[in-house]
Amino acid sequence: MLSLAWRNVVRNARRSLITVSAVALGLASLIFLWGFNDGVHNTMMRNLQQVIVGSIQVHANGFFHHPQLVKTVPDSGLVIRLLKANGIRGFSYRLRTFALAAGEESSEGLVLLGMNPDMEKKATRIAAKVDHGRFIQDNDEAACVLGKTTARNLGVSIGDDVVFLTEDIYGALAAEKLTLVGIISSGEMGIDRGLAIIPLGFLQQMTAMGGRHSEIVVQLPPERLEPVTAVLKAKLGKSYEVLRWYDMYPMMKQWVELENAFYYIFLTIVLVIVAAGIMNTALMSMLERMHEFGVMMALGCGRLRLAAMVVTESLLLGLAGIMAGTVAGLALVYYFHGVGIDLSSQMDSVARFYLNPVIHTEIDNSHLLDTVMAVLAASVAASVWPAIRAARLEPVEAIHHA
Amino acid sequence: MSDVLISASGLTRYYESGELKVMALDGVDLLIERGAYVVLAGRSGSGKTTLLNMLGGLDRPDSGSLVIAGQNLLTMSSAERARFRLYHLGFVFQAYNLIRVLSARENVAYVLQLQGVKKKQRFQLADQWLARVGLQGFENRRPDQMSGGQQQRVAVARALATEPDLVLADEPTANLDSHTGESLMDLMRKLNEERHTTFVIASHDPAVIASARTLITMQDGQVISVKAL
Repeated sequence: MLSLAWRNVVRNARRSLITVSAVALGLASLIFLWGFNDGVHNTMMRNLQQVIVGSIQVHANGFFHHPQLVKTVPDSGLVIRLLKANGIRGFSYRLRTFALAAGEESSEGLVLLGMNPDMEKKATRIAAKVDHGRFIQDNDEAACVLGKTTARNLGVSIGDDVVFLTEDIYGALAAEKLTLVGIISSGEMGIDRGLAIIPLGFLQQMTAMGGRHSEIVVQLPPERLEPVTAVLKAKLGKSYEVLRWYDMYPMMKQWVELENAFYYIFLTIVLVIVAAGIMNTALMSMLERMHEFGVMMALGCGRLRLAAMVVTESLLLGLAGIMAGTVAGLALVYYFHGVGIDLSSQMDSVARFYLNPVIHTEIDNSHLLDTVMAVLAASVAASVWPAIRAARLEPVEAIHHA
Repeated sequence: MSDVLISASGLTRYYESGELKVMALDGVDLLIERGAYVVLAGRSGSGKTTLLNMLGGLDRPDSGSLVIAGQNLLTMSSAERARFRLYHLGFVFQAYNLIRVLSARENVAYVLQLQGVKKKQRFQLADQWLARVGLQGFENRRPDQMSGGQQQRVAVARALATEPDLVLADEPTANLDSHTGESLMDLMRKLNEERHTTFVIASHDPAVIASARTLITMQDGQVISVKAL
């Protein structure tokens, strides 16, 4: 039957070619758009995780929503042992508190984040976001890094002193004067405004929190996110909270899901067009061959077999279009993955959304598979009506059809 | 003792055309023995093709009974009739009606494929049948690469390839020149004699009528005479 169906497809080569081209064009467009979409989303999610948030953060239970200096990770050593046992090397400790920062001209409340510069480089790319001066280098130096907006509000520049006023573990006031060594310009409001990074050792000493940590940040490839989270949750118990990046920043994931939903609507529209093209071809082909179908029925071909042949013909048209469209679509994704799509003219909004100025297309396997399967399903769905019409033919009437 | 292949009684079929009721078959009774070579003769509109369609299970009568090879065609479902045609009947049409995209070999093998015969075996059988109808060397030709006579020979090979009980032919020579038509009738008659396959041929071609062993004449939807020749 496959051979006969294929010959019927090539019987009217021009019409089949037009149909296959339409399917291929639609699919290639969808694959390319998914490539752009996934490129944007994956870059956003990667940047969010890699710049400062990490893939997973481990805290004392309840810390994320009600952060307090004294609410520290119960046993950092246990967490680190678990991470190492799972082959994870990209992690860092942090201590987090609130402080009042005072510069030459004014003061501002902000989050004071103590980081170990050597460990931080293994876990995040925050150091690379410093565009004036340098990142903190020594775990105990009296140096700080501010976001661009905070530095401007405080009226300080590289080399100036910034005074930080906070509480120590006993609730007593602790104040220190640190030298501004670097200014971060990330484009992201939560980093550029309201954040000061100082060495972890220095902050622990300042707050009498020696050896204690508010958060352990873990950097992971996407495929390890869920399994590692499950292991940590299972082993650490209820006194800890293990949060994935999207538990902490659900808006990002919801935004990605919302955009994907819009793409699925677009996909549906394209599928309807593809299905209409295939149905048109299948129906015309069926109407042209009514006489032949009548003869086949007279020879003993059953109605189901006849319907199956019509479906097979549509399936072959769809498969040919899918092969051509997949090759063309992936070639486009591959090409723009290499050269990128320059969005630098939109730089302000690009940076705010954790995007890079040049978007490199990439496509998730699940989106590629969904799209291909949807086009395949549309090809089959498009043949249902012509197949039903073929199966309903009465041999005598069909044979006498001109 | 005679072996009845076709037993029809009171076959009636009418078509409605607006207010008019056209009687295509009017109470036809028929007994045809296995191995017979029957020609249905009559003018256009006499009911030959309608009767042939009934015998082929392609159309249903409004009343009457029809038993072929011991099976009642009128109680069969559409699928059962298709299966009956596949295993018991062969068709030769006026316009050859070969499948355009298939070669001569594949056209003959098509019915064997429907029966589930394996590819190698069905191609061997198809080649044998093409040789028997004088088309050795034409196996790979498509219908549009053959003459009308050659196409009709392929149709005969296709009709006989499943070794059916009954071959029904509707005006098989109508599109052929007289020489090719006579040659085709010789072939069909020879196959009838050699294989005892029953042939029922509807035609108003004098050459076909002359080849009949049993001649059934129809007029206005009725059988008006049955003659053994």
